[in-house]
Amino acid sequence: MAVPVSQAWTVATYVLKQKLTGRKKYPLVLMLEPLFRCNLACAGCGKIQYPAHILKQDLSPEDCFNAVEECGTPMVAIPGGEPLLHPQMPEIVAGLVARKKYVYMCTNALLLKEKLHLFKPSKYLSFSVHVDGQREHHDFSVCREGGYDIAMEGVRAAVEAGFRVTTNTTLFDGADPNSVRAHFDELMTAGVESMMVSPGYTYDKAPDQKHFLGRARSKKLFRSILSNRKKTWRFNASPIFMEFLMGKKDLKCTPWGMPTFSIFGWQKPCYLLQDGYADSFKELMETTEWSNYGTESGNPQCANCMVHSGYEASGVNYTFGSLKGLMQTAKAIFFSKYEDDGAMKLLNEWKPAHSAPLVQIASPTAAEKSSELQGV
Amino acid sequence: MATETQESAKLAQLAHENPDEIEVAAGREREVLEGWVPDLASEAEVREALEKAFDYRGDVTITRKDGSKVEGYLFDRRSGASLNDSFVRVIPSATREKVNVAYADIAALAFTGRDTAAGKTFEAWVNKYWEKKAAGEKNIQIEPEKLD
Repeated sequence: MAVPVSQAWTVATYVLKQKLTGRKKYPLVLMLEPLFRCNLACAGCGKIQYPAHILKQDLSPEDCFNAVEECGTPMVAIPGGEPLLHPQMPEIVAGLVARKKYVYMCTNALLLKEKLHLFKPSKYLSFSVHVDGQREHHDFSVCREGGYDIAMEGVRAAVEAGFRVTTNTTLFDGADPNSVRAHFDELMTAGVESMMVSPGYTYDKAPDQKHFLGRARSKKLFRSILSNRKKTWRFNASPIFMEFLMGKKDLKCTPWGMPTFSIFGWQKPCYLLQDGYADSFKELMETTEWSNYGTESGNPQCANCMVHSGYEASGVNYTFGSLKGLMQTAKAIFFSKYEDDGAMKLLNEWKPAHSAPLVQIASPTAAEKSSELQGV
Repeated sequence: MATETQESAKLAQLAHENPDEIEVAAGREREVLEGWVPDLASEAEVREALEKAFDYRGDVTITRKDGSKVEGYLFDRRSGASLNDSFVRVIPSATREKVNVAYADIAALAFTGRDTAAGKTFEAWVNKYWEKKAAGEKNIQIEPEKLD
């Protein structure tokens, strides 16, 4: 199992309880954003571009606990910004653990090693470290040379100290599936509990607007990465969501599945798309025009999205929606390596988007043609 | 939610392709809004300008019809049937309280703050990376901006 049995049991009983009570729209994971400031400045990120007075603000521990109580999910993810920059993060995490919430604290791990002593290992706490690929891929993705080595040092320190450590990998246009598979091997060797992987979303607010995967390429990429998988790999994701990424399953978006709370309030409609804010979780659920979102809505903002925040809950719903869903999920967990000769051929013949020395980026000659230099 | 003008690249792509067949997703066309002072003569102009202000990643300055000003980050807008029941929500740059301003009370709008996302493309990063690498620099990175 990629998560502790107690966590799987808690989530399963929560979902079944929602279904038995006839609740049609229920959240699965609260995305709690206690701050927006970060110690990285990734071009692909749409979360950190705010004026300084906004970046300086933090949610208080009480704000966080109230949001968790309002929402009622069994799992809380803490993205940001970089949560380890929040001065009261240890208090927030301890309060959530005391409430028996399964916490995924998402971090770039630049500060993990030095702040580790502020946290206590618990089955309720996992550090979800963002690592976007092997060394060069990660460093270019986060726009920081040496970022990979620091992050992996943090991973190893946390594993050694007895913490649960998971990873989160976001893939953009130019990702090399062979390198991603080697990256999975490296993460497993480092002792992480399980891995999450997702395509990057076309953040309207991101400075960079040219490196997002379309659905066709996402499916090809994920089919080649996740087929013929190794026994050693453990994933922290719904097997049905991963089949969706591989193009083996059609899912509709569940935009309320991972609601987001930040200093602005409850974000409409989802973690990735900003279309306004509600002051309470109840208001979010009751006043959002949910039919305006998801691929099937025809909303251009949603057209290319295949991200876990919209589709992970859909995968979980599929699992618990019928006996067939349960059986398919059980088969995927215990028996399926997704053997696929076509995917192997795709993998073997995959040509990196750009030539050496760094596969993700253009050559210096091409890069020199770019006229934008501001702010780097 | 961006306006149709801002969404034009995506809309053009989707008009010709099935989302499931798209290899590389179009980004948005960026407008240079920093320093812009829109005309607010008609209701349509007011709504369009405030939609762009909601989408903007810098501070704006709103002048009310009574002459008072609110300068800060416009984080939300609620569009009603008329300008009287539509309002924007702002976090002023000097305080943490959320301020509501009805569309009908707005006399002027100016995009006074710096666009914090402008120019920071992946190409810009790569270009700068190669320049610094050629100069023998190490630990090359985009530094987050200082907040003080």
